[in-house]
Amino acid sequence: MKQYHSIQIASNARVSDKAYTLSFKIPGLAKSADPGQFVHIRLSPGSNHPLLRRPFSINDIRGDKVEILYEVKGSGTELLSQISPKDTLDVIGPLGKGFDIDLRKRYHLLVAGGMGIAPMGFLGRRLKSLKLKHELLYGCRSSSELIPSDIKICSISSDDGSCGKKGLVTSLLPDKLESCQNPVVYACGPWPMLKAVARICQNKNIPCQVSLESFMACGVGACQGCVVRSSDGSYISVCDKGPVFDSRLIDWDQDCVV
Amino acid sequence: MKKLKKIDLRVSLAGLKLKNPVIAASGTFGYGTEYTGLAEPGDFGAVITKTITLAPRPGNRPPRICETASGMLNSIGLANVGFEAFKNDKLPRLVEKKAVIIANIAGNTIEEYVELAKKINKISHIPALELNISCPNVKQGGIAFGTDPSSAAALTKAVRKVYKKTLIVKLSPNVSDIAAIARAVEKAGADALSLINTLYGMAVDIKKRRPVLGNITGGLSGPAIKPVALYNLYKAYHSVKIPLIGLGGIMDHRDALEFLITGAVAVQIGTANFVNPSAAKDILSGLAGYCRENNITKITKLTGILKC
Repeated sequence: MKQYHSIQIASNARVSDKAYTLSFKIPGLAKSADPGQFVHIRLSPGSNHPLLRRPFSINDIRGDKVEILYEVKGSGTELLSQISPKDTLDVIGPLGKGFDIDLRKRYHLLVAGGMGIAPMGFLGRRLKSLKLKHELLYGCRSSSELIPSDIKICSISSDDGSCGKKGLVTSLLPDKLESCQNPVVYACGPWPMLKAVARICQNKNIPCQVSLESFMACGVGACQGCVVRSSDGSYISVCDKGPVFDSRLIDWDQDCVV
Repeated sequence: MKKLKKIDLRVSLAGLKLKNPVIAASGTFGYGTEYTGLAEPGDFGAVITKTITLAPRPGNRPPRICETASGMLNSIGLANVGFEAFKNDKLPRLVEKKAVIIANIAGNTIEEYVELAKKINKISHIPALELNISCPNVKQGGIAFGTDPSSAAALTKAVRKVYKKTLIVKLSPNVSDIAAIARAVEKAGADALSLINTLYGMAVDIKKRRPVLGNITGGLSGPAIKPVALYNLYKAYHSVKIPLIGLGGIMDHRDALEFLITGAVAVQIGTANFVNPSAAKDILSGLAGYCRENNITKITKLTGILKC
């Protein structure tokens, strides 16, 4: 990991109703990052508002360009949405532990809910370069929030039925898992969705990795601010032990942190 | 290019010699190795460990942090690996970094503080101890000793008896008269004081109508508390003779200068480490620059030069 000061924005474009992709050029980071890892961005260098950095999954890496995907949710992301190519950011990364790609698996299923699509572009690109069969199951609230993706999509669901099948993405999962051999699941999305995906996979004895979200301060495992409860009752920090975990390591009965 | 004049940044805290006055605050720099690649323990004059307790502590229920206006709330709850694991697993890696190490400790009872202080006293790599009597996030111990002058004095006195090296006591701002606590602790044998720890605070999630923090309340830090910290430092400086270490919301060298001028010999950097891991280095070069511009050759000349 490294801190990169004064990083020039390459682009900041709207991709759906509330979501944007922002890209910047950091050759060192682009080269060393793995899918599932994140960058910690200081949104207003030189100002104390917002104070803390914000963690963003790396959505994709194209050459030496790093791309993140974000949704305008609060004052921090509102500010980010107004940033233009002449502005600079302070970026730390790559941070955390990403997806552990098991080369022996025949089928790699990516399951994303809403903004959980964020780390999947990079993961899909990596799986493609490794020539591993992969597909995406993608659920969103409605077609206006659907975020375009380069990955081969096997099914889409939406809460309002405006695109794909009406309902939750998790309702598509059991059938999909039945139809494939020796699969592994990588999931990212809201806590209730991850909990359902983890349960379905655990019942079928299918390995499942989840990417978790949490409020973070340091991003490097020093402050212990971003912890979640693990299945053995201890607390584990999302920033350095995760954000990607084996789903069996997490206690799914706790309240969601974010 | 003209060679820049070298500024003497060395300070001394009751015999503890530091190469510069910028110290990593407890709990914000982990066990000293987490920031590898971003910041090194050697960047600082000293590194204060995360609070160590006798037994490991899991810490408080999440969420543990929340951003507020120009600040943050935390309720980590002294999560730490416990003394044995600290000594065996964490300390050797920190010692390799060749920084001055200050151990921060807390206990539920005076006896626990004393037992820990005895153990730390035996570790040759640790030349100083900071007593945490001001953590707002645990029920027992911590702040229970920090809000009453006689309890603070009793604890300091008991630890002083067994601890032979530099003894620092970290004070809470959650009191009506910090000067009284400072005087009591000085009289009981403290070599130096750190002030301030975090202020009690809370935040509410209006959608869930619940406290944001799992522990309901937390400790407020960051730029929002700097005026409170300076006020408490000012009061303490005029009440005691032992050296003071100022902290609370220091983000850059201008903030650090305010503390030095008010009376601090050294400063601690806490929340700023999260925001900008190169804060210590930036602050040190800023301090040297200020000294050059003002024809000051030694950083110690700044302490307490406030004109009132």
